[in-house]
Amino acid sequence: METLRNTFDFSDFPRIDLMVAGFVAIFLVVFPLVPHSSFAMATMIQFLMFSLYGMGWNTIGGYGGQVDLGKAQYVGIGAYTTAVMLIRWDVPFWFSMPIGVCLAVGWSFIIGYPLFRLTGHYFAIATIATSLVLKDIFEVWDFVGAARGLEISPIKYSPPDFLRLIFKEDIYYYYIILGFFFLGILYVNWFRKSRLGFQLRSIKDNEEVAQSLGINVHWAKIKTYAIATAFVSLVGSFHACYIKNIEPEDTMSLDLSILIALMAMLGGAGSLWGPIIGAGVLIPLKSYLKEWLGAKAGLVGIDLIFYSLIIMVVSAAEPRGIWGIVEKIRRRKQV
Amino acid sequence: MALLEVHNLTKDFDGLRANDDISFTLDQGELVGLIGPNGAGKTTLFNCISGLHPVTSGRIIFDGQEITQLKPYEVARRGLARTFQVYVASGDLTVEENVMVGCFMRTRSRAQAKARAREILTDLRLSDLADYLMSELPVSAQKRVTMATALGSDPKLLLLDEVAAGLNPSEIDEIMTSIKHVHDDLGVTVMLIEHVMELVMKVSHRVVVLDYGKKIAEGEPAKVAKDPLVIKAYLGERYVREHAEELK
Ligand SMILES: Nc1ncnc2c1ncn2[C@@H]1O[C@H](COP(=O)(O)OP(=O)(O)OP(=O)(O)O)[C@@H](O)[C@H]1O
Ligand SMILES: [Mg+2]
Repeated sequence: METLRNTFDFSDFPRIDLMVAGFVAIFLVVFPLVPHSSFAMATMIQFLMFSLYGMGWNTIGGYGGQVDLGKAQYVGIGAYTTAVMLIRWDVPFWFSMPIGVCLAVGWSFIIGYPLFRLTGHYFAIATIATSLVLKDIFEVWDFVGAARGLEISPIKYSPPDFLRLIFKEDIYYYYIILGFFFLGILYVNWFRKSRLGFQLRSIKDNEEVAQSLGINVHWAKIKTYAIATAFVSLVGSFHACYIKNIEPEDTMSLDLSILIALMAMLGGAGSLWGPIIGAGVLIPLKSYLKEWLGAKAGLVGIDLIFYSLIIMVVSAAEPRGIWGIVEKIRRRKQV
Repeated sequence: MALLEVHNLTKDFDGLRANDDISFTLDQGELVGLIGPNGAGKTTLFNCISGLHPVTSGRIIFDGQEITQLKPYEVARRGLARTFQVYVASGDLTVEENVMVGCFMRTRSRAQAKARAREILTDLRLSDLADYLMSELPVSAQKRVTMATALGSDPKLLLLDEVAAGLNPSEIDEIMTSIKHVHDDLGVTVMLIEHVMELVMKVSHRVVVLDYGKKIAEGEPAKVAKDPLVIKAYLGERYVREHAEELK
């Protein structure tokens, strides 16, 4: 009962936040109904996917302060589970997605147990390493198509196929990921008020103090890492059905891991809205830069340079990102 | 009844013996001071008792059970809470949220944790500060909040590491009132490390004195203050001269 109330209770936010959030929610719901280009639609779907990646990362990375730069390996596990199961055994998304989540979470426990013996930079570097190892394995593993990856060919199915998530029009994908997006917000809203959420914030503050308050720091981190993993694995499964063409290089790359972390850090790590703001700024920027500069001028990676610049500027101004700046101004006004 | 028994506790940091064969007991309901010059090993002793440092040798019994090998969070869950000498308030928890973290040790319910945190803050006259971030508070208030947080876990024994350090006399009065309240009214057994002699000598039933890692004296404050070993190690002749009246 209390859990349910906490999930839907946003009353600790100022009214202005809730009004803005309400407008954004309405916009997201009606967006497909207003005239738009297919490019804008694709960008919006990317925005929703990356918001979810960021929300997941935010639990361990934001509230818990554990800079995790290896989330792509779990995107890969989700994507590959769904793709392999669909192609080989015709298992629909709604079955393969939970299985992917279970596999990813299982793997996250195996990885997380030794990983969380490390702290600070060592932890961050180790997360990168584990993710790259898994990617290397997938690149030579024939069962999952090795470096060529896998392709879901839509002609085999008769879209719209709601079980397998095979559609011709992007609007279906849009509403499905939008549903997950709202669920994600509700989940994180519960998480931040839960005992585990408080434990993580205490750990971020000071691990010795956290332990002295009865918190099993190692276990709390592993649990939260699993939660973050479930988020990204789910989106990974969606990614497989949406993109239909997956390979280690795009689902498990270091770029993706870093982008996920940047999303949340830019918007504001450790806040509910942060990852959404981060994705809202970075994803359109990334898409349009790639469209205008990258492809046309053939300057590979110029988008990367551009948004890493933004990150540097923002983190120099306020380490807690855009949302940190908002909060700072608000607190100053209060005093 | 003995709540805490420390038997022959020794702690080495490569080559340096920070605690040397220390034994003492705390009875249920006592308020005991732990004093000694800088580097005497007081904080180390707390770290060993609370499970933060593995001991080199010796045994620690809390509430009838051996806790020597337990992890800090296990020790805490058995009802042994502590504060830290140096507290770096880096995070973005408010005062109330901080205390709630302590309360969450005993409940899963946020509503209960919040209600209990409010109670404790009111009790320690900190409710005005509830919505401040820890980093916005002066050190004196931070120390009282860490005490409140430790209390949130509903401990049987509370170890306080220099909660009055760096405070002015009126702040010391405030924190002394808080400590006495926690002990007298809430029934928590307390051991406090303190350099502020006025405080520790006034409130403690007993004091334990460390010097170079060894226990050099133990007993009533007035008696200990007259112990030649203690005077030499710590108090200095001057303190004894100035407080000659009180000590009699
Ligand atoms: N983690 C550690 N590693 C190595 N040496 C340590 C460690 N902690 C404490 N020491 C050493 O142990 C000795 C006792 O230190 P401790 O902090 O316990 O003293 P203290 O009595 O609390 O002093 P103070 O009054 O200054 O707080 C000191 O010489 C200190 O340098
Ligand atoms: Mg000390």
